[in-house]
Amino acid sequence: MPDVIIFVEQRAGHTRKVTFELASEAHKVAGMLGGKAHAVVLGAGAQTLADQLKSYPLDVIHVNEDGDVDAYLAEPEVDYLEALARELGPSIIMVPNTLHGRDIGSRVAARLKTGIAADVTDLSFEDGRLVCTAPKLGGAYITKSAFKNSDYGVITVRPNAFSAEAGGSGATVQPIAKPAGKTYVVKIESHVEEAAAEIGLEEAAVIVSGGRGLGSAEPFEGVLKPLAKAFGGAVGATRAVADAGWVPYSMQIGQTGKTVSPRLYLAFGISGAIQHKVGMSTSGTIIAVNTDSGAPIGEFADMLVVANANEVAKELTKLVEANRSA
Amino acid sequence: MKIAVTVKVVPDTAAEKKIDPATKRLVRTGMNLVMNPYDEYALEAALRLKEQLGADTTVTVVSMYPDNGKETIRRALAMGADDAYLISDDALGGTDAWGTAVVLGAALRKIGFDLVLCGGLSDDGTTGAVPGALAEDLGVPGIANVRHIESAQDGLKVQCETDNGYQVVNGPLPALISVTMAVGEPRYPSLKGIMGAKKKPLTTFTAAELGVADAGGEANGKTELLSFAPPAARGKGQVVTPDDAAGGARVIFDYLKERKLV
Repeated sequence: MPDVIIFVEQRAGHTRKVTFELASEAHKVAGMLGGKAHAVVLGAGAQTLADQLKSYPLDVIHVNEDGDVDAYLAEPEVDYLEALARELGPSIIMVPNTLHGRDIGSRVAARLKTGIAADVTDLSFEDGRLVCTAPKLGGAYITKSAFKNSDYGVITVRPNAFSAEAGGSGATVQPIAKPAGKTYVVKIESHVEEAAAEIGLEEAAVIVSGGRGLGSAEPFEGVLKPLAKAFGGAVGATRAVADAGWVPYSMQIGQTGKTVSPRLYLAFGISGAIQHKVGMSTSGTIIAVNTDSGAPIGEFADMLVVANANEVAKELTKLVEANRSA
Repeated sequence: MKIAVTVKVVPDTAAEKKIDPATKRLVRTGMNLVMNPYDEYALEAALRLKEQLGADTTVTVVSMYPDNGKETIRRALAMGADDAYLISDDALGGTDAWGTAVVLGAALRKIGFDLVLCGGLSDDGTTGAVPGALAEDLGVPGIANVRHIESAQDGLKVQCETDNGYQVVNGPLPALISVTMAVGEPRYPSLKGIMGAKKKPLTTFTAAELGVADAGGEANGKTELLSFAPPAARGKGQVVTPDDAAGGARVIFDYLKERKLV
């Protein structure tokens, strides 16, 4: 009976929404396959997070507050996941499709000599196989794929694609043994926080994004950030803006940046070039504000408001704030 | 130091991409092919290291590529790479991410390297699985999402991008790193570079020469494409020209309110 293992990306007991989406979906997939849903939580703070995860429909939560996980890059986490997968036998490993999750997933797949279904947005069981649905080629196609030639499979899950539903009868939290005989060499010296984002771009339900039409770096901090805050969302940007040094590259959406699917995408001063479109066209609702009524973004946005982006963003912030406090 | 850069040849982003219904593979003919944009950054990072470290550092391009991709590889040489190794074999058509890592791994072991640089994703496959799998296949430390290489002499010191900043990481060589676009804007080939590229060595391997016949190709893959279809069309939306900014904000707010998005 194939089991399902989810990798919980966390630091100091803090994780992201996608973890709870993974936990909920793992339960469903385990149900389809007739196996159990496992979670692996590692590093300082793992115990606290495991307790939080108990309100999600998992069967077993494996915990180890191993200091090596915080001191060394990626490899300790890969070792734990590989060890558990081998112990459980045929299984599906689910990781978030984030910078770190993708790294972990690709290595676990290589260790288990299996394939990766990447950026998956839906999972189903058809003709006795687990079928992974994912948008590909910048959203030009929706593909369905399945694993073959292997007892295992690794799935990187797009944040925001699955709903996080609490439930279940309470998972068993148990320690997982540290894989023996491993030495690590890639050392994490320090962490530096630049954009103290409470919400990661990939998991934000609302993204307020800016392009060159905003005119300078200042509106990102002074105009878009307050609007994102009013929505409880995150701020994104185009490549042109990141190239100009107005924002860090970590905020860039589109080709060579991040792919996002929020419920609502607000594009301010963004023309909608293909390089940007491929990173956000699967968003729920897209609203654009641009002085150019012929901007390409009008071809795929639900609404294009022809006006000064900075001014509309400021006015919209007032309305959303007033609505929140009402 | 011997630096190897993995390069994929992909359809131009702006090209309309089609999957052939018979082979279920991406159509790679009849369109403009380019160097995977993510790999251009990896090559740029390699060339900058070469400039820093001096003449005894070499940059080698390694690519598993379709027959019509040679011009793209020439461009990498024109940008400043010293030589290129190409793995071109019909038997490798339809190779998945896992197989690609195994094939590139076999080539890299044959060529030799101190540092492998990869782009973080391919523009067409967007699996992002090759760098991590390749590090595992080569049995060397792998460092993902590198935005800046602080030092590559006597080991590596790099900055890795995280969701809200970066972490400083160090490790020994040989190693593999995958880069983000923050490493620096890729250069354009100079005229001198373009002329010189024609004389640079270009070596070709077959799958059999690399001993990877059991990893490459569709039959050996670990994933199978079952079906594909275009998504529900996202039609042109409404265009609103408000009297002023407050009016524009009001139109948006009402639209969102109606759809319970605010």
